[in-house]
Amino acid sequence: MTSTVVINGMGCVCAAGNNVEQIVDSMLSGERYVCSAPPFATSHPHPYPVFSVTSPLHDFGLPAEDIVYLRTALLGLNAAQQALDNSCWDMKSLRSLKVGVCIGTTVGSSMDVEKFYADYRSGKTPDMRPVNCFYDGNPATIISKYFAFNGPCQTIVNACSSGTDAIGTATMWLRSGMCDVVLAGGADELCRTTYNGFAALQISSPELCSPFSVERSGLNLGEGAAVMVLAREEIAAEFQGKESLGYILGYGSGTDAWHLTAPHPEGRGLKQALNEAFSNTVKNINDDAVDDNGAIVERLAFVNTHGTGTRDNDCVEGAVLSQLLPKVLFHSTKGYTGHTLGAAGAIEAVLTLAFLRRGQIPASAGFSTIDPEIERTPVTENTTISSDIALSESLAFGGNNAALVISLNRSASGVIS
Amino acid sequence: MTAVTDKIAISGIGCVGAFGCGTQDYVAALKRGYVDALPQEKNHPDGTSFLPALLADTAHLTDYVPRRALRRIDHYARMALLGGYLALADVGLSSDQCEKLGVIVASGYGALTTTFNFLDSVLDDGDSCTSPTSFSNSVHNVAAAYLSMQLQAFGPSLTVSQFELSVCSALHTAVCWLEQGRVDKVLIGGVDEYNPVVNDYCRQRFSDHDVSIGNIDPFNFNSCSTIAGEGAAFLLLTKGDKWCGGESEQACHAPYAYVGALSSGNFSRLDCKDYSPQVGQRGSDLMIIGADGQCDSGNLYSQLQFDRPTLSCSPCYGALPVGQAFDLVAAALMLREQSMFAVNRYQTGTNGNNVNFVPKIDTITSLKIAPTGQFGQIELCAGVDRDA
Repeated sequence: MTSTVVINGMGCVCAAGNNVEQIVDSMLSGERYVCSAPPFATSHPHPYPVFSVTSPLHDFGLPAEDIVYLRTALLGLNAAQQALDNSCWDMKSLRSLKVGVCIGTTVGSSMDVEKFYADYRSGKTPDMRPVNCFYDGNPATIISKYFAFNGPCQTIVNACSSGTDAIGTATMWLRSGMCDVVLAGGADELCRTTYNGFAALQISSPELCSPFSVERSGLNLGEGAAVMVLAREEIAAEFQGKESLGYILGYGSGTDAWHLTAPHPEGRGLKQALNEAFSNTVKNINDDAVDDNGAIVERLAFVNTHGTGTRDNDCVEGAVLSQLLPKVLFHSTKGYTGHTLGAAGAIEAVLTLAFLRRGQIPASAGFSTIDPEIERTPVTENTTISSDIALSESLAFGGNNAALVISLNRSASGVIS
Repeated sequence: MTAVTDKIAISGIGCVGAFGCGTQDYVAALKRGYVDALPQEKNHPDGTSFLPALLADTAHLTDYVPRRALRRIDHYARMALLGGYLALADVGLSSDQCEKLGVIVASGYGALTTTFNFLDSVLDDGDSCTSPTSFSNSVHNVAAAYLSMQLQAFGPSLTVSQFELSVCSALHTAVCWLEQGRVDKVLIGGVDEYNPVVNDYCRQRFSDHDVSIGNIDPFNFNSCSTIAGEGAAFLLLTKGDKWCGGESEQACHAPYAYVGALSSGNFSRLDCKDYSPQVGQRGSDLMIIGADGQCDSGNLYSQLQFDRPTLSCSPCYGALPVGQAFDLVAAALMLREQSMFAVNRYQTGTNGNNVNFVPKIDTITSLKIAPTGQFGQIELCAGVDRDA
């Protein structure tokens, strides 16, 4: 079975705002809501800035003492609820269908129970609540159970490409007929363990991050979640009766098989991911006029890069962009959201579609000076785009690379209608 | 159940656990029906005690990976590497033939011990002096990353964490990869490691586990008889009737079994009173359930009324989130050998160890129910005679 995968709804919460429209507005206004210190105690002499979600999250009507969800799960639930509200799917219809949930995360599946463990080590009888939160907080399970869906459930833990891989995996489930609808995305919270871990790896910046800029000194961690409601086109047409927001036309991934925390210097896995995503797009468009990857590349309006602001990531990503997409506009949105790890790919996929719908992409926040090693400049001011198709890409620890081709139109005609 | 339309074959198998290393050791354990657990010292400041556990030894990994290359690789990733290498060796596939291999790892907990090692470095040395090596080796996809690096596998790589349903969930995606032609072979497996903080301390805090019990008693659903296990079980999945490759292009491997159907969802929607997993015109000949002596999921298994011989293999590998990977390996081996072995079994109206001859085993369904109330079931169908 092969089906076109439509995007019926999307939701997002991150430091830049509480919903998609607010986030896009704030980015186009150049606002950067960074916090000078994390929302937890730290003994680092000079705390690293972070992008926290400071506004209260919807608690889904549960009294506080009953909430055993991790914050990651709550972020995911908030984004999922927004996406469903945005989609016009009604719950009765959804519960009559096979609805899967596929969510990427890092913190949401890690036993980062520092206080519990400290008490355990010191011979106290630790409070089991953090362990309960871990067991009950699996983000995909939480979302599936909360909305009473009855389909495959998968939490993907591919480090920083998890969100992209979750959306890509969902499209494969839909094309195979395993599901009618899938809620797909990513969620991650700020956490002392990852904060200390990235500091130990010396890739956290003490300043606001500046992706692709020569003076960049690392990444800023962030938190957030984004979810898309994806459906097989024929199911959406039958049940929803509403024009889709867009389409996932291609997904690809590739593995560096090189190093645990550093990308392959020539971007081997990233190139493979891009080539697979473009090939899938050619196949899914099914148009005689689009018969090779080059035809897709020519139509791309922009690339929403991984663009973390670390030396290695930006060098490799820049080199691959120069080689494969030398004329395509690109930017990084991490200067507005921070690096939200397992949520990043999903947030950036949602933003990619939102920018396509606005016909405009924001300046790549933090960029000031071209890096001679990269030789490419991201967009430095808000830029009008003139095509209906774009690329979102992610790189990750473990050598994972993933990419999504997203379009406003089924045919990806290359023009905004 | 959603039928798998293409022929997705289990061509190779690799496993390591308390039963030993490889399919021969596992079959021997299945024929015996259980593996003896060894007491592990729980050295918590509130007192020392000894709890049984079923642990894996990865010494044979040096048959495949130079000792020097293993220096920074922890026990968790070593189990995954060994399981993976064994599955590839089962079909004669060498590591220089893995360029287009897809890798999928399912794990409930990830690298638990290294995660706690990193927390040790935070607590002992302070926020500014934590261990970068522990952190980078604690990320959840570390086992898949080492598999890709050691095998030089550049195909897609995925790590899934869904606790008890990790394996079923991962298999959904593996089938998609093969059906949609992303790769022509997928190395998929489950791995979880024993850790005293989680497997002993937390388990004791959460339940009144009777630690005096010698073996898991999986069909005594009302009794908590769980014993922690660890290990890795991997399958090499290919598409089609037989897979030709490996060291000799002439060597074609008939599969152990095919993936017939997959299903997952809420336990509340299973029809417990007439539970008869079935695809097409007929149901499965055997059931393997993932009951592993845990009271919370045991309560859910007890609500099912099975209408066919039902087995549990958990006394051979222990209680671990990815136990379903070992059940799939057992099912594939049973289909090849046309034997139920001597594992714990239950048949309608009986509960004992001396039943029941099934003249021909064409299909086996593996059912895993999570304490959270979700289930995953996988149906395997017999392949052609592997030795033919």
